[in-house]
Amino acid sequence: MATREPETGWHGENSDVNHLRGRAFEATCLAATAFGLVSVMLLLLFVANDAFRPFSADAGWLATYAATVVVPLAALAVYYYRLDEPAGEVAYVTSGLPVVGLLLTGGFAVLFIELLSVLEWFALLISLVVAGGLIVAHGRLRPKAALERLGVVFLSPVITVFGLPPTRFNWFVTDAAAALGLDFGLYYRVISLREAIMLLPFVPTDWAMLLLTLVLPVAGAAGWFVKQRRESRRDGLAVVGMTTAVAVLGVVAGPLLGIGTDVWLLIVTFAVLPLGVYVEGVIRRGEGVCGLAFPVVAVLGVVVGGVVTGALGFAGPDPWLDWGFLTSATSRTAADAGIYPAMVGSVMMIIVIVLTTFPVGVGAAIYLEEYAPSQGLMGKFVTLIEINIGNLAGVPSVVYGLLGLALFIRVLQWPQGSIIVAGLAVGLLILPIVIISAQEAIRSVPDSFRQASYGMGATRWQTIRQVVLPEALPGILTGTILALGRAIGETAPLLMIGAAASVRLAPNSFFDVASMMPRQIFSWSSELDPSFRHGVLAAGVITLLAVLLVMNATAIVIRNRYQRTG
Amino acid sequence: MTDSPSCGLSRRRFLTSSGAIGTLALAGCVQNTSRGDGSGSDGSGSDGDSDGLSGQVIIKGSSTVFPISDAMAEEFMEEHGNVNVTVDSTGSGGGFENWFCPGDSDINGASRPISDAEIEQCSGNDVEPVEFEIAGDALTVAVNNDADWVDCITFDELRQIWSDEAGVTNWSDVRDEWPDLEIERYGPASTSGTFDYFNENVVGEDTEHTTEYQPTEEDETIVKGIRDNEGGMGYFGFAYYNSNSEAVKAVEVKAEDGGECTPPSLANAKDGSYPLARPLFIYAAESALQREEVYEFIEFYLEQAETDMVQDIGYVPSSAEQRDENLEKLDEVAG
Repeated sequence: MATREPETGWHGENSDVNHLRGRAFEATCLAATAFGLVSVMLLLLFVANDAFRPFSADAGWLATYAATVVVPLAALAVYYYRLDEPAGEVAYVTSGLPVVGLLLTGGFAVLFIELLSVLEWFALLISLVVAGGLIVAHGRLRPKAALERLGVVFLSPVITVFGLPPTRFNWFVTDAAAALGLDFGLYYRVISLREAIMLLPFVPTDWAMLLLTLVLPVAGAAGWFVKQRRESRRDGLAVVGMTTAVAVLGVVAGPLLGIGTDVWLLIVTFAVLPLGVYVEGVIRRGEGVCGLAFPVVAVLGVVVGGVVTGALGFAGPDPWLDWGFLTSATSRTAADAGIYPAMVGSVMMIIVIVLTTFPVGVGAAIYLEEYAPSQGLMGKFVTLIEINIGNLAGVPSVVYGLLGLALFIRVLQWPQGSIIVAGLAVGLLILPIVIISAQEAIRSVPDSFRQASYGMGATRWQTIRQVVLPEALPGILTGTILALGRAIGETAPLLMIGAAASVRLAPNSFFDVASMMPRQIFSWSSELDPSFRHGVLAAGVITLLAVLLVMNATAIVIRNRYQRTG
Repeated sequence: MTDSPSCGLSRRRFLTSSGAIGTLALAGCVQNTSRGDGSGSDGSGSDGDSDGLSGQVIIKGSSTVFPISDAMAEEFMEEHGNVNVTVDSTGSGGGFENWFCPGDSDINGASRPISDAEIEQCSGNDVEPVEFEIAGDALTVAVNNDADWVDCITFDELRQIWSDEAGVTNWSDVRDEWPDLEIERYGPASTSGTFDYFNENVVGEDTEHTTEYQPTEEDETIVKGIRDNEGGMGYFGFAYYNSNSEAVKAVEVKAEDGGECTPPSLANAKDGSYPLARPLFIYAAESALQREEVYEFIEFYLEQAETDMVQDIGYVPSSAEQRDENLEKLDEVAG
């Protein structure tokens, strides 16, 4: 058998094809990518250096922490990356969970300090549960009465949460009558369950209310999750029982540790419980157990580093971005300046944006994709609308600020610079983006799903509710969260609606005048004292970026999670 | 997968319930406020030293007065932790026109007296402005550090540079011995009281302020512009020069050709020898003064305006007589 000559080269070997242009193009593209990335990286490093000032520390301090924290963690990371990938994921999650948990704890702590008292939260939650219970009970008892249920859905929250009629309605009627010159007014109303709870002469202590409305529900959810995973009712109950025990223990231990009972309960709920469930799962599965070493090494490193630097007397850095910066208000002395009220303002603005933009945007997207006519004259009209939504997404943010100023402040007479106005103006700004991304998500649901659903006799409403929306939800959420990331950094609309340059009290309600993080950063940029422009400004930027990164990370996690199971 | 049916259910539930809870939560919070306004039984967030005084004071107006008002707000809120004093810099004119006269702010800082047109606009909205002179400023003309040719400048030369009709583009157009270098002008925007003051007192009534300059509401931008251009020139309040005295060079000014060159300083502004010394004002709405928190804040402001605090920021504090006169006026209006 004749051995075949191995084929060398290819058919174009001898022709003179010039690869130079292709290579040059590739190199140009690489250069463009690298240029963008490197310049952004440099800028961020520059800002981070200003915010943290690592080089203001003693060399010995830096060396100690490099030896106790950075080197061991880097070695572990390399080990995971090269040899033990599941452990890497475990390490990632066990380090990330406490961070997210502590952020949530901080969020709820701010909620209870600034927005609601624990009693108000308790009353609101109980009333909502009762309202939900009424709706579900009606659904069970009279499953056929759809129209009646619509009434129940609207009425039960009115009765349990707002009272009958709502106070505002009374005021509106009275004001309207007064404007017409009539001596008429509604002065009496049936108070809601929520208000009734608030009026009780004896209420449980704060920690008991938190335990009932926050710790137990979250522990219950975790227990249910464990029960499903293990198919063991006992394990689920064990989770609930242990969480409650630890939480109650904290009622004694919390004040001793100096953090207070409420904070202890929040930490148990949001940080300890998820971490515990996850770690237990990892150990039980026995996969990637090595990953648990990562957070342990990190904590040990920090502790050892602290002891060594303390013993040797090395001074740490004096960063602009420290605990004081996050918890105090702005000041005219740079060292005392902080971002706390602006941070609360930004978070509350995001709440307004989510509550208004998400339903409106997703509703519009569903209509445009699923219901709107696509043929004939009306179809052309719908196309025109879609094109204009695309255009609206590109309208400069100042214009939305002007719109907010004209509409909400001048016409509706809402307080200028208030959170509700800021949230609605910025919400309008991202509304087109939300609509477009939701449309994309809905469009990406294969048509065969809809056809199959119709084929099984489902109505259009059932198809949308049970096939299209669940399938499109991860995409919708991802798009919305990314749009929110844009919203939190917008400055121009805030300037237009009169968000003030210096606000020292965190807002207590949505109609309070407030500052938001980008507005605060902007006003620091024009302070007299140069250390504002270099130090405090950088710290503010890093804080804003951190919030943004957390939001984007949430978007990515949601997308990955649903892609895996859905 | 065993959990897929429950998964679909939970998503649907999630969608409906998050929508419902969301709407309710927003509405609940809205009602919360109204209750706070209506009966004053606001149970949340009262962790400050509650001396009974609460509410909010909104200050807009001049960027020159902003540092003083901001410092006053900070000091005042140390004593009254529940009064939310917010300060914003919008320019004197911008503050009057857009916020104060429409009734959206309680106090307006101004680096010039209120104009007749503004009084008219205010009274059209039933806003009666009450004037308090709270400090003095030495408006500072600055050039680049390398501009060694100019140390002292006359009003007439300033007028040539900053009016629109003289046709001056280069330094040599003003004085022959000066270099043939373009003048890069940086100044406050026309909404600013500093602009109005300069326009009225230096540029004069016969000519108009030039439009061939970089207008901005941020004095910081003016300083940067002058620092980075050899032919740069600009004007702003003394406080900004005070904290940027290494970045730019202040020019001495003389009012008449035969007069004496005077450098800008607080002492010279106080004794009246500096020709560009000017008073700074705050205007309070008469109706706002009836509110206790605004009254208390203004009283505090007027008392503190006489102390060294104002000097530390870079302004001339008001005299003791000025303070007493102001307090008397306050009592008269509010009483």
